[in-house]
Amino acid sequence: MLTLAGITKTYPSGLLALDHVDLTIEAGSFTSIVGPSGCGKSTLLRMIAGLDEPTSGTIAGRPEDVGLVFQDATLMPWADVEANVHLPLRLTGVKRKDAAPRIAEALALVGLSEFAHAYPRALSGGMKMRVAIARALVTRPRLLLMDEPFAALDEITRNRLNDDLLRLWRDQKFTTVFITHSVFESVYLSTDIAVMTPRPGRVMALHKIGGPPARDAGFRADPAYLDGCRAVSHDLEQALRAPA
Amino acid sequence: MMRFLPLFVGIVFLAAWEFSVRRLQVPVFVLPPPSAIAKAFADNLPVLMSALWVTMQMTLAAFLASFVGGLALAILFSQSKLVERSLLPYAIVLQVTPIVSIAPIIVIWVGLDHVERAVFILATIVAFFPILSNASLGLRSVDPGLSDLFRLYRANRWQRLFLLQLPSALPALLAGARISGGLALIGSVVAEFVAGSGEATGLAWRIAEAGQRLEIPKLFAGLFLLSLTGLAINFAVARIEHLLLRRWHPAHGGGAG
Repeated sequence: MLTLAGITKTYPSGLLALDHVDLTIEAGSFTSIVGPSGCGKSTLLRMIAGLDEPTSGTIAGRPEDVGLVFQDATLMPWADVEANVHLPLRLTGVKRKDAAPRIAEALALVGLSEFAHAYPRALSGGMKMRVAIARALVTRPRLLLMDEPFAALDEITRNRLNDDLLRLWRDQKFTTVFITHSVFESVYLSTDIAVMTPRPGRVMALHKIGGPPARDAGFRADPAYLDGCRAVSHDLEQALRAPA
Repeated sequence: MMRFLPLFVGIVFLAAWEFSVRRLQVPVFVLPPPSAIAKAFADNLPVLMSALWVTMQMTLAAFLASFVGGLALAILFSQSKLVERSLLPYAIVLQVTPIVSIAPIIVIWVGLDHVERAVFILATIVAFFPILSNASLGLRSVDPGLSDLFRLYRANRWQRLFLLQLPSALPALLAGARISGGLALIGSVVAEFVAGSGEATGLAWRIAEAGQRLEIPKLFAGLFLLSLTGLAINFAVARIEHLLLRRWHPAHGGGAG
């Protein structure tokens, strides 16, 4: 269980980006953080990853192993797919030869086994994102952080990656924190949704999404999905209407 | 077809040159016809070639020294802001001071008995800066996302340098090397002109000597050889650049991956 308590971030310019964010993320949950752009949700994710320090407040229960996926795939262009996926292990001192089975496994998880020796330049946007996911999962993290990972992809690719991500999350049982500005994407994927206000960001509402544990395209017609979309959209509208 | 266009232009140019010089009866010591230059080239081949060899050695040595030195200093700068702040202004001073003006003092310090040492130092100074500035730029132009990733996985300074910064810097570094290769030749030639005494035996000295003796066709033959050398250096570095970058860099696509 990951607990954020009273997270506040003030930039040196005096700008208040986050204002007392309290959030509890259940172990094994798929938690989405939804909010308008500029609400500080990416900053929040960076803090969970340990890349940024809050001005005040605490984060408790962060596991040792964390996987991180950005909106860009951020692959090393000079290295092939295998070397890119190897990176997290390499940085902890695992040689390529010893890491090979785990690299192969991670690539198989995202369906890219045949592209181990391709360079990022030769891959489509969706495939690059798959490599980034394989790289994040190769250390078998307890926590996967994703910052609008599919926002730049076309809808078909995005839907496929959503389904693949859900399958991975069910099978591998890691906790996921997923940043998005898409209500539909968040409801489709999540067990829990936190809606944030515009800057200064606060958590204004929490939602639990019911429905079947194994979701597929049929879930988009499920009452739980529709109710979830309605409720989250409503909150987001409220958030945008509230005076800053 | 397009490949042969420069060659075709060259032939037309030489023919027009030969024709007009003969037609207008320009004296050979003002502008010799290409045929006379070719003859001078053939007659003086051993002398020119041994001079070229001297200049080439000097150029290569200066290029390698500036590459290693420039890269090492850029890495040092990337590791410590303090060192960069303290040393960069002096590197720039060295860069903006015309080489011709420092040459006499360098010659006095190290070149009185060994002109080649002075030439080496001067050529290295000229070739050094493009490597330093391009490598510095390259080492800084790291993808911020990748930089975060290295932090997330607690990469140490050396892992960051070898696995992230140096590969990121490679394209800029090689572009710098291309400029620097040409400058090493220019530096060697200029230094040799300035430092030139009876001891210098490089191509620049042969050209200066031919000028003083009014052996203008020989002078042109030397010039021709210099241009050819410059082209060869440029081509060689471009080739290395292509070989190192073709598999991943967008500007070096070429289909074959």
